[in-house]
Amino acid sequence: MSRFFNSMRDGVGFDLILVGAAMLFLLALAGLPLVYNVLMSFQQVDMFTLGSLIRPFAGFTNYVAVVAQPEFWLVTKNTLIFVFASMAGQFVIGFALAIFFAQNFPGASTIRGLFLVSWVMPGLVVGALWSSILAGDFGVLNFLLRSVGLIEGTIFWKSDPNFALWAVVIANIWLGLAFNMLLLSVGLAAIPRDLYEAAELDGANAFQRFWTITLPMMRSTIGAVMSLGLIGTLQQFDLFPALTEGGPANTSTVAGYWAWQMSFQLYDFAKGATISVMMFVLVLFASVVYVRSTRHEVRG
Amino acid sequence: MTRPYVPWLLLGLALALAAVYLFPLYWMYVTSLKTGSEIFANPPTFWPMAPDPSIYPAVWTRRTMGTFMWNSVLIASGVTAITVVLGTGCAYVLARYRSAWIDFGLFLILMLQVLPASVMITPLFVGFNQIGLLNYPRTAVVLAAAAKAMPFFVVLVRATFMSVPRELEEAALVDGNSRVGAFFSIVLPLARNGILVCAILTFMSAFGEYIYSKSIIQDTSLQPASVGLSGFLGPNSTDWNSIMAYSAIYVTPILAVFVLLQRRIVSGLTSGALK
Amino acid sequence: MTLKSIGLMAGIALAAMSMAVPAMAQTVIKVWSIDGANAPGIADTLSKEFNEKNTDIQIDYRIVPFDDLVNEALRAFATGQAPDIISLDNPDFALFSSRGAFLDITERAAASDVIDTSVYYEGPLNSVSWDGKLFGLPKYTDTIALFYNKDLFAKAGIAEAPKTWSELVDTAAKLTDPASNTYGITFSARAGEEGTFQYLPWIQMAGGNYDNVNVPGAVEAIDDWKAMIDAKSASQDVLSLGQWDSTGTFNSGNAAMAISGPWELNRMSTDAKFDWGVALLPTQTEGGARSSALGGFNWGIFASTKHPDEAFKVLEYYISQDERMFPEFSSIPARSDIALPETGVPLKDAALKVFQEQLQYAQPRGPHPEWQKISKAIYDAMQQVLTGQVPAQQALDQAQATIKGITG
Repeated sequence: MSRFFNSMRDGVGFDLILVGAAMLFLLALAGLPLVYNVLMSFQQVDMFTLGSLIRPFAGFTNYVAVVAQPEFWLVTKNTLIFVFASMAGQFVIGFALAIFFAQNFPGASTIRGLFLVSWVMPGLVVGALWSSILAGDFGVLNFLLRSVGLIEGTIFWKSDPNFALWAVVIANIWLGLAFNMLLLSVGLAAIPRDLYEAAELDGANAFQRFWTITLPMMRSTIGAVMSLGLIGTLQQFDLFPALTEGGPANTSTVAGYWAWQMSFQLYDFAKGATISVMMFVLVLFASVVYVRSTRHEVRG
Repeated sequence: MTRPYVPWLLLGLALALAAVYLFPLYWMYVTSLKTGSEIFANPPTFWPMAPDPSIYPAVWTRRTMGTFMWNSVLIASGVTAITVVLGTGCAYVLARYRSAWIDFGLFLILMLQVLPASVMITPLFVGFNQIGLLNYPRTAVVLAAAAKAMPFFVVLVRATFMSVPRELEEAALVDGNSRVGAFFSIVLPLARNGILVCAILTFMSAFGEYIYSKSIIQDTSLQPASVGLSGFLGPNSTDWNSIMAYSAIYVTPILAVFVLLQRRIVSGLTSGALK
Repeated sequence: MTLKSIGLMAGIALAAMSMAVPAMAQTVIKVWSIDGANAPGIADTLSKEFNEKNTDIQIDYRIVPFDDLVNEALRAFATGQAPDIISLDNPDFALFSSRGAFLDITERAAASDVIDTSVYYEGPLNSVSWDGKLFGLPKYTDTIALFYNKDLFAKAGIAEAPKTWSELVDTAAKLTDPASNTYGITFSARAGEEGTFQYLPWIQMAGGNYDNVNVPGAVEAIDDWKAMIDAKSASQDVLSLGQWDSTGTFNSGNAAMAISGPWELNRMSTDAKFDWGVALLPTQTEGGARSSALGGFNWGIFASTKHPDEAFKVLEYYISQDERMFPEFSSIPARSDIALPETGVPLKDAALKVFQEQLQYAQPRGPHPEWQKISKAIYDAMQQVLTGQVPAQQALDQAQATIKGITG
């Protein structure tokens, strides 16, 4: 018994307690709901059995039905576009801003701080705001674009099948920029200055320094930003009902919104769960990428 | 960088970028002061024709926003407390070792965050109902939202711990400290900045928690401000200027705190690197 | 140990705790509705007044946001937490009534002194009935008609509101004036219930219905809509604007006509700086069949209630106050025996007369237990046509096939 207490104070036991407490908490409050969703995707669910675990077994019929939906491939395509475009936009602009604000000029850190406001804005508010900004006729974005001569007519951001998904992407990039810039700034600051000085002495130009020092040194940060960004993007929900409701004709419906729509607008809980389980596969992939990227980290 | 005007050019560019980025925020304040139909006017007006600030006190009292805001503060504090207490230890251990098990742990933590809250809410509601937690709705929301915030916190704080030199901890152990002692007297103080900043960020995003609160908390007097906002969205009416006024009241205090703290937030995270 | 048995133990523990508290003399009836979030509404006001009468029944009233009402109800019902009474949007009602989740009140209503089912309009009454039984009562009703800007009509030299679909298309084109940012017409073809709400009446005027959507007239109707958008007589944003926001552009003078309902009247009376009127929805041909959408909410009592008699008494109380529905809450009762008093605002009173006439042609959506899926098939097809992705006939044929699969 005393060995047990000793290990708690001095050995692996202490680590196990620290990790175990958090893990148990997560398993109970995030793991069980996950299992519930997986279970539900193999069952027939109706309003009377929503609260119980034992329901008629449905095999893969829910999966077959989801794939057979006429909008399935459209939604898959939209999801991929939405995820890649949002992540690329957030990452590239976020990285550019992080590098820009790492320069030495007056007010750099103060102004950088202002860019973090999208972090504190609740999703509902952001959705309502962008809905008004992106409106076709009375929307202020079109007005501004027309004023500077970038466009001639009116772009119906929310109603044109060619633009609807991009409207949500724009709003989502705005929303996720703060997060990307913040994390990348942290990563940049951790790179030792002397590495750059040495490279400069060797005659490396700015572009070479970026490729040979910045990117490799930030490998783990980039991995973390990417995987958290992927999860954040897949979870994005508030913008869809506020901007397009997935329309016109499902051209801006993505998997997360579709799952919600199945469960909470069409009241087909089994199909909603099935779509969410399918999304899981995507993220499984992302997590593998992240964990692999951290494997090569060196402790400072 | 010998040319002296370059920093000022950069400053100008930075201000221009910030103006573009913060435009939606400006739009929120302007829209709240417009009349219902001016919002739909084409071309849009950049300054309300007849600004009416009386909407702010009106919305505040009509929607009993004091109660809503207080509940938001309570819930966000609870979420932050649980996340920090459980997440810090977890992040420390995950930063301390390199092994397949650690990889697996990180993997698990990320995977558990995958499902959107809107899909998690039904099972959570059913589970909370079974154990009677629905009778303590704010506690239930705090637990559920903390689970959602945890992975993000762990990943960020883990990075902070990784930058604490291991030699310092080992030296403390050699000096006769226990693991517990070394953790609290050496490692935690060194990582304090990073933890504090992540806690603030967690608090801020929990302040906007919506999906769990709206389903779990049925009593209006216990609901947070986000749920109060959804009351403006009716079947055949959307009171845009009230929504914007409410939003402005909702986010302004937190923006103010944020602007005051932001230098410390940014430098806290960046200097957490200790390089 | 299964979740159920944990629940059972928790239940026993809770029961033991509640035994320790002295038994309450009053029966508590839980009521859910969307009313009262912003301004005092029907259900919250009446519940408060009922409680002040201090009978042995007390109402525990809860406001639920509109978007969450059905979900909350489903979840609560599945976990045994359902309220006793709920007020639902009429197309959502059959989801519950068809599966016996609502109490059959046929006999209670027949025996009641307060309730007389013969006074209700046919559409609303249909929406609370299933399989010949009565599962609830209409709370209030509304419908859609054509608002028009009389000043802009006069300016364009048009004497009266269009009566047929083709007249509507022509009139909209004449009223369109890009120079002053004015569209001829606005409506809502949104990817949601509002889109179906606005399009279904046109299908019905052409002789179709929700289970028969690919009739020739339905193709003509949606092609007319598309023609108006293509000619820029209507903004393409009708595809994403809800009815409230769409009519907002009418109020600000950016559209000369708008299709919407009586819920707009109060805002329009104060915001619209021009002379306006309301006309019945145009028909396919001169003197053709009329139809309109049926909106409004219904009351239902959950079958799981432990106090059916007391819940019914509360329902009777709500119904007994129907006469106040319009003067106090600006909603139209779903019954023909209550005359609407004058409001003193001439434009509004004239508009209400038209809406009351239009209501006689209003047809419910469904009722069908899987209405929401049918509705999605309809608005998806509508949007595919309006965005030019699929020809009308093909889109409606596909919608018909989907709907057939749902209705069987």
